Amino acid sequence: MASLRRWVAVGLTACFLLALAYLPPRGAKSSGKSLFVGQSPQGTPVRQHARALADEWRNADATVRLLEDRQRVKRDSFRASPTIVFRGATLPPNAVHNVETVMDSLWRGLGFAETKVRVTLVIELRRPYNSDTPTPLQDRVAYLVPDSTHRTTCLAYLPAGPYWTLFILGKRHEGFDRFAPWLEAGLGPCAFYAAYGTPGRRVESWLLARHWDVGLYLGSHGIAGQRFSSLDLMGNPRSPWYWDGVYSFSPATVACLAGRPRGCSAAVLAGATEERTIPIPNVVLVERRWWRVQHLLPGERYLGDVARTVGRDRFLDFWTSGQPVDTALALALKRPVGEWTADWERGFVRPIRLGPTPPLGGVAIALAIAVFAIVVVAGTASRRQIR
Amino acid sequence: MRIILVLLAVSGIPRVLIGQRWERQVQERVQRTIAAVGPSPRLPVVRRSGMLNTDETASFQTTLVQHTPYAIIAVCDDDCSRLQLTLLSPSGSDIAKERNSESLPTLHFTAATTAVYGIRVVMEGCRWNPCWYAIAVVPLRKPPS
Repeated sequence: MASLRRWVAVGLTACFLLALAYLPPRGAKSSGKSLFVGQSPQGTPVRQHARALADEWRNADATVRLLEDRQRVKRDSFRASPTIVFRGATLPPNAVHNVETVMDSLWRGLGFAETKVRVTLVIELRRPYNSDTPTPLQDRVAYLVPDSTHRTTCLAYLPAGPYWTLFILGKRHEGFDRFAPWLEAGLGPCAFYAAYGTPGRRVESWLLARHWDVGLYLGSHGIAGQRFSSLDLMGNPRSPWYWDGVYSFSPATVACLAGRPRGCSAAVLAGATEERTIPIPNVVLVERRWWRVQHLLPGERYLGDVARTVGRDRFLDFWTSGQPVDTALALALKRPVGEWTADWERGFVRPIRLGPTPPLGGVAIALAIAVFAIVVVAGTASRRQIR
Repeated sequence: MRIILVLLAVSGIPRVLIGQRWERQVQERVQRTIAAVGPSPRLPVVRRSGMLNTDETASFQTTLVQHTPYAIIAVCDDDCSRLQLTLLSPSGSDIAKERNSESLPTLHFTAATTAVYGIRVVMEGCRWNPCWYAIAVVPLRKPPS
């Protein structure tokens, strides 16, 4: 009996040690619950309702502002690059000229001359808050796309924030090299409208369903200059929050990060099957933390890269196609969407490994325990052997 | 003196030059086509122009005078590959449809009675949306009887 108890104890201890070795909290999805959180992280129902109302008010406010801006804008017929309008402060003429010069330069850099759809950029300079009403969309980029109030005007609303407000007003001088990328990123979907015109109904519906997450940036650099993309915001794969970030995305997005073509295909074609009614006015509101809600990483440059790879003619075939998005895109790419996208993804990130990945130390400990157990069993068995 | 010259130069810019390249393209194109078909000097030429995305439709109404031969022509910009033109009766039914001439459909019609007819244009193919189009309803010189 004593011997049996000893064996049970040894077995349980071995199991415990094995569990310690093989189930490290790395790469596992966080439950989202913490024993040390005293209140609900979601907020109370009343607070959630208040937030939803405030969000609704902000969206309506943004739409009204965009429509008002569209009415006010007087286009300079002789200017090919975007008309720039400043709100929130009166700028000295040289400040306006400086911003226009940067915009003209980057417009030429994008290869644009006269475009069918013209862009108007409304730069909202930071102004003081009014505590009586919810904060307006001072930190949220929005677009009034063509056919909302005018067939050939795309209006981009770009909040400057305190940093760029001071820069534009000439009160801050550092950051000049990042100003052009900031302006370029601010063009967002309007850059696609300028370059390729209004998309066909199916493509537009697909992009609308996913908040244009694959068409936020047309440039060939990263959205924040150089090669910086939304992938860089995930942090270092060795950091403890990296895996929480990875698993916060949809399974298809994660599978695509792992280099799986089927996952990539599902991530790209999310929203392509449902045909939506295009609303009027058609306002594209970019999520505050758009990089957290993408279906594809770094999705913001996906369509830009597709366009550069397949060339203008084939991209226009896709853009205005009346065929389903998956068919039109595969025809333009001349490859299955999933395969092309998986290759594209590998250009930015080494495929992540999914599933259990025992660490080297854990494997060594487990093997040592196993060997130890076998030796103990063999030794005991040899002593109990009846000769 | 220099200011006056500048003002004269600016005022001399034809209206058609103001606007996008594609708009100018279709205006020039429709103008040339009207001249080519030979309009009657007695009746005015009715013109309409605008922009359409692929598969969109535009229509308008115009009065056609009885026993007058008309050429109804539609042109579109370089990005447009197919344009459909339809003439509608006062009751709204199709009288004639032209969709084979790709970007230059033309209809010939002589109205039996003076009435308000409909004209419908469908942008069937446009590579770079929106595409500009222009329509002209040209009364022709009556053939010698």
